[in-house]
Amino acid sequence: MTSFTPTRRTLLKTGTAAAALATFAPAVLRQAAAQDADLAPYKSAKIDWQQASGETITVAVIPASYFENLIALGPQFKALTGIDVRFEKIPPAQIRQKSVIDLTSKTGTYATHAADPMYYALYAANKWVEPLDTYLNDKSLTDSSWFNFDDIIPAWRSANGIGGKLYGMPYDGEVTIQVYRKDLYDAKGLKPADTLEAYVANAAALNAPNDRIWGAALRGVAGAGQNMYIYPSIFREFGGDWMKGGKLTVNGPEAEAALAWYVDLMKKYAPTAAANWNWPDIADAFSQGTVASYIDAHSSASVINNPQKSKIIGKVAYARWPKGPSGKRTTSIWNWGFPINAALSDKKKKATWLFIQWAASAETQARTAHRFAGPTKRSGVNRTSIWKDPDYIKLMNGFGPNFVEATMQALQDDTDVDWRPRVPQWPAIGDTMATAIQSALSGQATVKAALDEAQRRIEPMMRG
Amino acid sequence: MAPTAIAAAGIGTEDFGHALAKRERRFAAALLAPAFLALLATTTFPLMFLIWTSAFRMDLAMPFTNGFVGFENYRVLLTDDRFWSSLLVSLIYTSSTVALQVAIGLALALLVMDMKRGQGWFRLIAILPVVLSPAVVGMIWRTFMLAPEFGIVDFLSINAGLGSQNWLGDPVLAMVSVIAIHTWQWTPFAFMVLLASLASLPEDIYEAARLDRATAWQRFRRITLPLLRPAIVMVIIMRTMVALTAFAAIFTVTAGGPGTATEILNLYAYRKSFTELSIGYGSALAVALLIVTIIISGILFALRRAK
Repeated sequence: MTSFTPTRRTLLKTGTAAAALATFAPAVLRQAAAQDADLAPYKSAKIDWQQASGETITVAVIPASYFENLIALGPQFKALTGIDVRFEKIPPAQIRQKSVIDLTSKTGTYATHAADPMYYALYAANKWVEPLDTYLNDKSLTDSSWFNFDDIIPAWRSANGIGGKLYGMPYDGEVTIQVYRKDLYDAKGLKPADTLEAYVANAAALNAPNDRIWGAALRGVAGAGQNMYIYPSIFREFGGDWMKGGKLTVNGPEAEAALAWYVDLMKKYAPTAAANWNWPDIADAFSQGTVASYIDAHSSASVINNPQKSKIIGKVAYARWPKGPSGKRTTSIWNWGFPINAALSDKKKKATWLFIQWAASAETQARTAHRFAGPTKRSGVNRTSIWKDPDYIKLMNGFGPNFVEATMQALQDDTDVDWRPRVPQWPAIGDTMATAIQSALSGQATVKAALDEAQRRIEPMMRG
Repeated sequence: MAPTAIAAAGIGTEDFGHALAKRERRFAAALLAPAFLALLATTTFPLMFLIWTSAFRMDLAMPFTNGFVGFENYRVLLTDDRFWSSLLVSLIYTSSTVALQVAIGLALALLVMDMKRGQGWFRLIAILPVVLSPAVVGMIWRTFMLAPEFGIVDFLSINAGLGSQNWLGDPVLAMVSVIAIHTWQWTPFAFMVLLASLASLPEDIYEAARLDRATAWQRFRRITLPLLRPAIVMVIIMRTMVALTAFAAIFTVTAGGPGTATEILNLYAYRKSFTELSIGYGSALAVALLIVTIIISGILFALRRAK
């Protein structure tokens, strides 16, 4: 047996190890404590977050910063619930088709996905997704005073409900507002338009294609989520009613006036290329200073305020939609929501609901918005309370004068559940209308002929 | 090993030959089977399934109306204006792009034939568009080339005094644009095939023609064209079949727009099935496209055999 005699070397070794332990241990402990602290706001909910521990779910989202922020918080969700979430990013153009294919084949690939609110009628008609009310009312799954469902923006809740039942939980949404170049407006003594008429007049006053400035731009490219995203607001403002006498109607005098207004504005005061533009193209052109005003989602403000790309930072201001002849202002009620795939097992459904509850909770919403550590913060949070939070308002005010006011007022006063026809046939109707709007814009058909043709095509779609 | 075994069993030579042939056939069948089954599974079965689906009403938006409808989809199709207009667009698109491809391809081939140097380089560069994915080609044309105010083609047009044109926003220009894009991408194919056949034409006929003082035009008209005819017809057949079923480039450039100005039959079938979610009717449209393609190829093959 040899007795242990510390040599210089062993002494050094143990010494270093001890020293290392002494320095790092507090850090490790601190981190563990931090994680506990991180989860404390969630743990105050009176439910068992761990009840579906061990499950794995796949969530389809679009590659956008508001989902990237959520993905960044994924490890916290795993620590809270023990559920593994795999995120799959699918571009917006494909996510609808991919999820429909998944839902029809009943494979349950996507436990939930970022859903287009216009698709809930289709989903519900096929019973592809679960009504969420059962989950909301189940005390073992939801702590209703903690989750505070009523705090979620009412327009988005109603947009995601069919027949009084909720099918998708709003996660992130937007309203459409006027975005204009304050410097150009001030130079000509113009005010942001209060009526659609005034909007055209402003565009006319600022339109100077020879100086490479166009008066206005709206989404021109054909698509249910493109030109058929902006046109429904105009249609409603002109007094249009999608379900006239209970029958889906897309033509008639109001529709003709609305489409004529759109075509006239686009032809006279928008760049020719705008006929093929979607919102990123509009925002790019605006950032380059070639467009004096546009009406689109408030979330585009982050693009036109991007210091790397934009030449007009500090020159932008915002206003609500101009009023239409009917006296109404109608914003989009677009939001990305999370439904629960009905093809899942009960345990997976529970896991999915826990994920949805976590993602839509006020805490996660704040952590992905003004309290997010990364450079891009969200601007479409789903909570009324956050929209009143001074920190959030401070962040949003960075986008320019009147941004928060215009957005909030639009959210409160200008929303309209019947903004677009909410029927299961929407994918077909949206596409047909998109084609009609574009054929009127391109001059392939007159406004009236395009709308009448759309009506003629839509009628058989609605017959059983 | 086999012959001795058979001889031992006492079988005559004639039977032996038969047995061997039979065995070889069996062996050949066994070798063929995997490929044949794979082909059945990947082409024939989906095709049959498509035809089968076209006999159903399969409307995802109204699942309660789904069911067998027999030829109902085809009856609707025959009275569907948009089917006829998309068929017309398909035919215009196909005939003009194929005619242009053959004409330009032949002209280029004749030109390059007489090139003394750099022929290899020319061929290499000419083949580049063919190897690009049509979707990529579509994106390039849509954004870099044809965008009004910003695109290269529009820049040239402005400098040529033609002014800025809305290349993809005007119904006629959009059609011209998509035809030009398809022609741009696939002319090199016609060019390569025709160049190869030109190179194989016998020189002595031309010599004889020159001795008889045939003009260049006469030589082209009376010698080159007739000799090239099989190659030209082959190019026409192959290009027609591809142009009729073109999809990716046109989908990325105009998606059938503006309105329905460039909506070829293929695109209409796609929209019906995957955007409007009427799978049954969309299948009927796809079957109609298949029938049209078969008829046109049949006519072309018959023309090839004639004379």
